[in-house]
Amino acid sequence: MDKLLRDKKAIILFVAPAFLLFTFVLFIPICQSVYYSLCDYNALTKPVFIGFENYRQLFTADKTMKIAFKNSLFFLIFSVVTQLIAGLILAALLTNIKKGRNFFKNVYYLPCVLSSAALGLLWMFIFTPKLGINQVLAQFGIEGPLWLMDTKGFIILPMWVIASVSLWQYVGQSMMLYMAQISGISTSLYEASYIDGCTKVQAFRHITLPLIRPMMATAMSLNAIGSLKFFDLIFNMTEGGPNHQTEVLATHLYQQGFKFFKYGYASAIGTVLLVLCLIVTFIINKFVKIENYEM
Amino acid sequence: MKKKLLSVILSVAMVASLLVGCGGKTETTTESTATESTAATEKSESTGEAAPAASGEVQEITWMFWDDLDATEDLISKGYKETVDRFNKDYEGVYHVTPITTNLEEYYSKLNALVAAGETPDCFIVSPGPNLDVYVDPGVAADLTDYLKADGWMDTFNGGEGAFSQQTYDGKIYAVPLNIAAACVFYNTEMFATAGITEMPTDWDGMLDACQKLQDAGYTPLTISAGTAWCLSMLAGYLCDSEGVDLDALNGGTASWLDANVVSAANKMVEISKYFQPTAAGDTNDVATANFYNEEAAMLIQGSWAIAQINGSNPAFEEKCGVFAFPGTDGRVIAKSDSLAMSATTKSPEAVIAFMKYFTDDTAQKYTAEVGGKIPVTKVEYDASKAPAQLAYVMDVFGNAKSTFGFYNESLASTEAGSTFDDAMVSIYLGTPVEEGLQTVEDFYENNVWNK
Repeated sequence: MDKLLRDKKAIILFVAPAFLLFTFVLFIPICQSVYYSLCDYNALTKPVFIGFENYRQLFTADKTMKIAFKNSLFFLIFSVVTQLIAGLILAALLTNIKKGRNFFKNVYYLPCVLSSAALGLLWMFIFTPKLGINQVLAQFGIEGPLWLMDTKGFIILPMWVIASVSLWQYVGQSMMLYMAQISGISTSLYEASYIDGCTKVQAFRHITLPLIRPMMATAMSLNAIGSLKFFDLIFNMTEGGPNHQTEVLATHLYQQGFKFFKYGYASAIGTVLLVLCLIVTFIINKFVKIENYEM
Repeated sequence: MKKKLLSVILSVAMVASLLVGCGGKTETTTESTATESTAATEKSESTGEAAPAASGEVQEITWMFWDDLDATEDLISKGYKETVDRFNKDYEGVYHVTPITTNLEEYYSKLNALVAAGETPDCFIVSPGPNLDVYVDPGVAADLTDYLKADGWMDTFNGGEGAFSQQTYDGKIYAVPLNIAAACVFYNTEMFATAGITEMPTDWDGMLDACQKLQDAGYTPLTISAGTAWCLSMLAGYLCDSEGVDLDALNGGTASWLDANVVSAANKMVEISKYFQPTAAGDTNDVATANFYNEEAAMLIQGSWAIAQINGSNPAFEEKCGVFAFPGTDGRVIAKSDSLAMSATTKSPEAVIAFMKYFTDDTAQKYTAEVGGKIPVTKVEYDASKAPAQLAYVMDVFGNAKSTFGFYNESLASTEAGSTFDDAMVSIYLGTPVEEGLQTVEDFYENNVWNK
């Protein structure tokens, strides 16, 4: 193996597929998109270079962009925090039970493997006033709120609803990542701690948490990027409405590109999204301190 | 050596599979010569029968439409499905059309995605106005003038060339209208009788009075969709027109969106919005219409295309459904037509034209009136007694109209201008102060229309 890895031709051959994939599927389209973001481009005629005009409009004249930006940041914070907490709690609970562990693991993970479009429609029906939850509440004489239509407040009710649905859908993924890391921790560490008089909560705090920190950084990065790119649930539950109040960056990009043929403008939104993802990943990796322990 | 060879083979295979995946679109292999297809068309047209396959190769075309033809309850859409089936049967072995369907809300986004990808459907349905401009300006839609004039096809239309005024650009016709619909007020006759309303409102005060009486009688007076913004915008369009708003002046920059008449129209919309169903903010067009035919609301402001949806979903409601013209508009009615456009890059123009003719032949146009309840565009004679009761009322409204005008969101400077107007109306309905809401349209026009 060592001999093979010293062979430059072999290295090139091994690296080539990934390099080509990255170049043609990611790097070139990203560069192209950044260029289009500086152009007036409708995909039907040649792009016309207009400098930073799209960005100027995006940040000064586009009210929907402000809403989309606010909602994307809300999703980011909500997803990272709630999935971290809920994922950890579920992982800790499931690693400590013996009966039914696999059953619950599958139950919690199941929504992750289902189509987001189908789930979006399902939840949309559940929250539709005439079909779902409100009808159940009406049986008890309670008038339910307009879950996906209310527009009051800084973060409107539909955003909380959609964020909660996304937590339900993706918490299984965080849980699995944490479980994988927790199951790698040597049981002798816990046994030693119990001999020293540790409670289970103390063991979780002083052993489990420090040892799964690398996975926390990974899971948080994945959640952050996933929540910034969030599209399918929103599109299927509210289509960005009412009146663009549940628009996020990805849905705004879609509307501008495919509804109005403003591919240059949509590319500018895409570039903002890319930069945001990079910044958030950088911040998470910078501030979540990872110390390597022997497990 | 063997390992090296194996690694080379595997790497090459992986790269090759990647490149294949990224390859260009597959060329269709069903293209036959223009001569053959023309001959097939001519034969079928002259004999009224389907022409046999000339070379054994079938010309495949695609047609994009804004409803699911298999799942729909809409009678007009069902009629379109019948037309497609009839065409495919008559031209079996010669032409074949495959519908690409999506829901109305997503239609233009998906069509635009296909156009941008260079995969424009051979034939697609489109609304006239800025929605059609988008495809005419960059040459996506084909000029149909010669096809229409070639064999008297144009003469079959009511009004001849005048029937194509909304589809004509610089003297060239880019789309073929299929039917006409007028925006009216549909009402539940039973609820009106119970509320003691004996005469239909003819002015704004009468409309508000009727709404109040219906509310006092325990009914939801009006069902409307603000979730599907153009529905609310249709009401706003009527109110603007009744206040004397001059769209040409607005589009030309000699009037302002903050003028007193526009503000007054928006205030009227706010005034009547207290009679909407509580879920109007998020209800889609379909849900709002269902509220009406399920008898959960007394009135629906909608185009006459809703007749097909109402009667298709709840046939028993037909006899309770009345129609009157939107009050206070001085005899002006919003009219709209569905139109078919052909891709400028289609490889089978003859097949597309033959397909389009099926939508405007007597069978399809009779169906439009007798079953669908829409106004036919051709000179076809239909049996009025077979047509839905509402069509007669709509024909009355249309016949008494002094003039017609288009949907506001389809009459503004661009699709985005229309969308901005729609959004502003929804925003005002949701509580944004009228002047602030209208300022967004004013700002859009200043940045994108007047100063460009």
